[in-house]
Amino acid sequence: MDLTYTAAEEEFRRELRTWLRANIPEEWTRPGFWEALDPDESFRLRRDWERDKAEAGFAGIAWPTEYGGRGGTAGMKAIYDEEMVRANAPRTVNALGLTFLAPTVMAIGTDAQKKEIIGPLLRNEVIWCQGFSEPGAGSDLAAISTRGVRDGDDFVVNGQKVWTTNAVHGDKIFTMVRTEPGSQRHRGISMLLIDMHQPGVDARPLKQMSGASEFGEVFFDDARVPAGECLGEIGEGWRTAMLLLSFERGASGIAQYTEFRRQYDEIAAVAKRLGRHRDPVVRGELARVLTELECLRLHAMHVLTQVEQGRDLGFEASMTKLQWSETYQDLWEVFDDLLGEDATLDSIDGLDLRPLHAQSMWSRSVTIWGGSSQVQRNVTAERVLGLPR
Amino acid sequence: MFFALTEDQREFDGAVRGYLADRFDLDAVRTVFEDTGGDGHPASLWKAAGEQGWLAVLVPEEHDGLGLGLVEAQVIARALGAGVAPGPWRSTVLAGEALRLAGSDEQKAAWLPRFAAGEAVGAFTLRGSAPGALPAVEYGAVADVVVARSGDGLTLVQGATATPRGSHDGTTRLADLDAATGEPLPGATAEVIDELAARATVLVAADLVGIAREAITRTVAYDRERQQFGVPVGSFQAIKHALADLHVGVTMAEHAALYAAHAVDERLADAPLAVSVAKAKASDVALQATGAMIQYHGGIGYTWEHEAHFFYKRAKRLAGQWGDADAHRVRIADLTLPA
Ligand SMILES: Cc1cc2nc3c(=O)[nH]c(=O)nc-3n(C[C@H](O)[C@H](O)[C@H](O)COP(=O)(O)OP(=O)(O)OC[C@H]3O[C@@H](n4cnc5c(N)ncnc54)[C@H](O)[C@@H]3O)c2cc1C
Repeated sequence: MDLTYTAAEEEFRRELRTWLRANIPEEWTRPGFWEALDPDESFRLRRDWERDKAEAGFAGIAWPTEYGGRGGTAGMKAIYDEEMVRANAPRTVNALGLTFLAPTVMAIGTDAQKKEIIGPLLRNEVIWCQGFSEPGAGSDLAAISTRGVRDGDDFVVNGQKVWTTNAVHGDKIFTMVRTEPGSQRHRGISMLLIDMHQPGVDARPLKQMSGASEFGEVFFDDARVPAGECLGEIGEGWRTAMLLLSFERGASGIAQYTEFRRQYDEIAAVAKRLGRHRDPVVRGELARVLTELECLRLHAMHVLTQVEQGRDLGFEASMTKLQWSETYQDLWEVFDDLLGEDATLDSIDGLDLRPLHAQSMWSRSVTIWGGSSQVQRNVTAERVLGLPR
Repeated sequence: MFFALTEDQREFDGAVRGYLADRFDLDAVRTVFEDTGGDGHPASLWKAAGEQGWLAVLVPEEHDGLGLGLVEAQVIARALGAGVAPGPWRSTVLAGEALRLAGSDEQKAAWLPRFAAGEAVGAFTLRGSAPGALPAVEYGAVADVVVARSGDGLTLVQGATATPRGSHDGTTRLADLDAATGEPLPGATAEVIDELAARATVLVAADLVGIAREAITRTVAYDRERQQFGVPVGSFQAIKHALADLHVGVTMAEHAALYAAHAVDERLADAPLAVSVAKAKASDVALQATGAMIQYHGGIGYTWEHEAHFFYKRAKRLAGQWGDADAHRVRIADLTLPA
């Protein structure tokens, strides 16, 4: 058992902390700052800030230097994730490109794709969307019907995507498109990289239950994409998608723990402020959810150990997703319970609860996106425990 | 970062499990379980525990032990839980820990080598006070020596009168003791007593984790084969989802028991929290998993012939031992919430 980071990793932590201290304006860390901001303004601030961070050398921490990464260890990446949360750094605007697309491009992209995609992504010059879900294809991704028809050197794309995060701010979208006419299920799909700033692409915001519009829908009406803008082989999009989704396990449980633990402390502070912190029921519920948070922290150390040992976690990633998403939702249910009959009020005793309610709303989404909890349970039961299909 | 068992620790685990599978399987457990008049202390298993170092694990090398840590001890505890193994392993290990941490040089020299070799049985309790009544002590009737509370300190009691207590967990024998005055342990401060309670709690949590994992593994195996409606019942989503959630829960409890052992050994600042997290989680999942074991075996799971009840009953006893989940949540709240 060795739960420490190496000296080099700790040195990296110090460097990063110093940079973060100098580069995060005080007002950004005030509760409610981001929620109160105009969404476009918020997006612009975060986009620029992340570009500066990349230029200072704090992007692509564990990626090879040849792609503009830092060439660091998995431990450094964990430290990076943790410190970003600790410092109240703004939420990344290019999460889908960073976690899914870039590692896939590094693994199977052409040289030209590697050059064109990864650097600009790190510097936030291109914001990427993930165009998988469709109105008729959510959990059942193989049911997609958006189609691309070959026309000379291009594909001409028609169809619709939905629940697309960053739809209105996106520059490009990696998209599952049926490129073999009449093909069924997993066959005949290609992963096309489509420019969203063209006449045949229309992105419209969808309003979420929280009132924000982080996701939207994307319509393709004779949109054109050069055949070279296909990631992986043409017709092998399903294989590309599975590789791409496998990178989701890069998500750091240590950062999630750090973030959720802070939210736990905020909720505990609200309990105290409202005089509910002595109620044994409230205390029991908070202790129960803290138990799950501590387990998440330990699980993150387990995952990091496996990654450092070069082991593939495979379908165990479903367990990680279940643990963090269900715990996070549970945490905010405890918050609502704590408020009791005042659960929906914007403020109590002069305490602005809106930033907390925003988190509470968001917690309803985490058990849906990235594979719903039901889908993760199926995967765990069938692929990890070996129960029959 | 290395949060995992080492090669050596995994070998230890494999050795205990291998022994139980080959030499002390569930039929052997049943024989002990059903022999209600017996002492619940099978000689062959005890001999193995002495020979294979399971009893020597925490005893310092100078007293003929292996001088290993609570991490290794929880590996053994987990394996013994998975095998629902009977016998005074934990009680002897804990009596040895009390001596190691609080005993005089003479006391250590007198008992630790004998504990390590399986030549003497120990018991440890913090309920009641000597001289006087010590209720429901694990293996109190077969113990050569009992470490018990005496006022603020600890005392080493021999020759207590034992009255067996009935318990439906047939994998462990309990006895009420009427203890005379014993020899005090000179180093028994409040901190040492807390540490002993923490060590006991971690070992019980690890036993529960072993029980819970085995309960799920056996249930999965059964539900893959058992057919109803022309298909294996394990293909029904209601069962799959429940078992998937249990798998996640037990995995988390495994992490928690491992970390708690490490935190206690290394005296980390969060050790008290880690111990309560491990026990609260292990108590909950063991009751859920053994309950599910009965449910997802259907009628057969409710019979005396089936082994599910060994796991369920042992889980039920240990879930309440050294603080149940609620008690540990109270402690977690006290450790973390504003006053
Ligand atoms: C905030 C947010 C952001 C998102 N961002 C993106 C994005 O950027 N790009 C993108 O492509 N998609 C995105 N999604 C879409 C997301 O991936 C899908 O919503 C998700 O896969 C579920 O699909 P669905 O909405 O069609 O629900 P459905 O699949 O219709 O599910 C309805 C219900 O049925 C359950 N269910 C479905 N199949 C099974 C099964 N086999 N067994 C048991 N239960 C089942 C589900 O769990 C759910 O409870 C986002 C979603 C949200 C909420």
